[in-house]
Amino acid sequence: MPESIDAIVFYLSAIVAVVCSAVIVTRKNPVYSAVFMVLFFIAWALNFLILRAPFLAVIQVLVYGGAIMVLYLFVIMLLNLKPEEIKEEVTTQRKVLSAIASVGLFILLAWAIRTSPKVNDAPILSNSFLPDTPAVTEAGSLEAIAMELFEEHGLAFELTSILILIAIIGAIYLTKKGKALSHDGTHTG
Amino acid sequence: MTELTLDNVLLIASAIFCVGVYGILSRQNIIVILMCVELMLNSANMVLVGFGRAAIASSPTPASPNMPQIFVIMILAVAAAEAGVGLAILLAVFRKWRTTNAGELHLLNG
Repeated sequence: MPESIDAIVFYLSAIVAVVCSAVIVTRKNPVYSAVFMVLFFIAWALNFLILRAPFLAVIQVLVYGGAIMVLYLFVIMLLNLKPEEIKEEVTTQRKVLSAIASVGLFILLAWAIRTSPKVNDAPILSNSFLPDTPAVTEAGSLEAIAMELFEEHGLAFELTSILILIAIIGAIYLTKKGKALSHDGTHTG
Repeated sequence: MTELTLDNVLLIASAIFCVGVYGILSRQNIIVILMCVELMLNSANMVLVGFGRAAIASSPTPASPNMPQIFVIMILAVAAAEAGVGLAILLAVFRKWRTTNAGELHLLNG
């Protein structure tokens, strides 16, 4: 089989994701960034789906595309910024230096990926090349993930709930009216 | 190129990561900087899932095939907590200094 349809879909949605991320970092208005972020998350969820992670694809759209981006848009709405308030004074020198740093990092990563024997010896990931055993076809299903998550990683799961609880308490405390930190670090009000 | 290979998955994930790095280095809007952090977390998730898929494809009876995806679920929980606290800090900063521009917050400048 010379080519696989899942590979073509993967590369197409990867192109969409890269273009969306480029739009996210270049738009002046954060509302446009947030909208393109949703598109990016949908393209990324499609890639998860092709890599046989259907549960992660659903979670990606629900948690990231739904909950987190609504939170971002809600905060943008709360701030109610005027056009002159979102103006940034970024010098061309800083932009060029940032571009050099990130492109250099990409070249370094690409070199590491291309020369790694472990990565180059990895099998082809297209669906038609996967072994057809029950252990492989069931991997990534909701049932398999739930069994492994709750049987072997129960403690980590419970600790995550404590983390989320602390995050909720911290967020409520930080945004409480009259509790803002004053200049000398003491509390007012 | 038209087959799905592990190095291409990793290259796409590193491209997204580097776009996130560029955004964090060059932008001054705190909202966009937080979005770039989300981009970088997502690229790390793709690397984990890609390696998990490679482990599944390399043997008919993989040892623990769902481990990478459980990692991603944990990262998702941490990312949700990070977004909540980060945006709460952003709101508190905006109330105090009336700005979302990281360049104007120079209290820690030497």
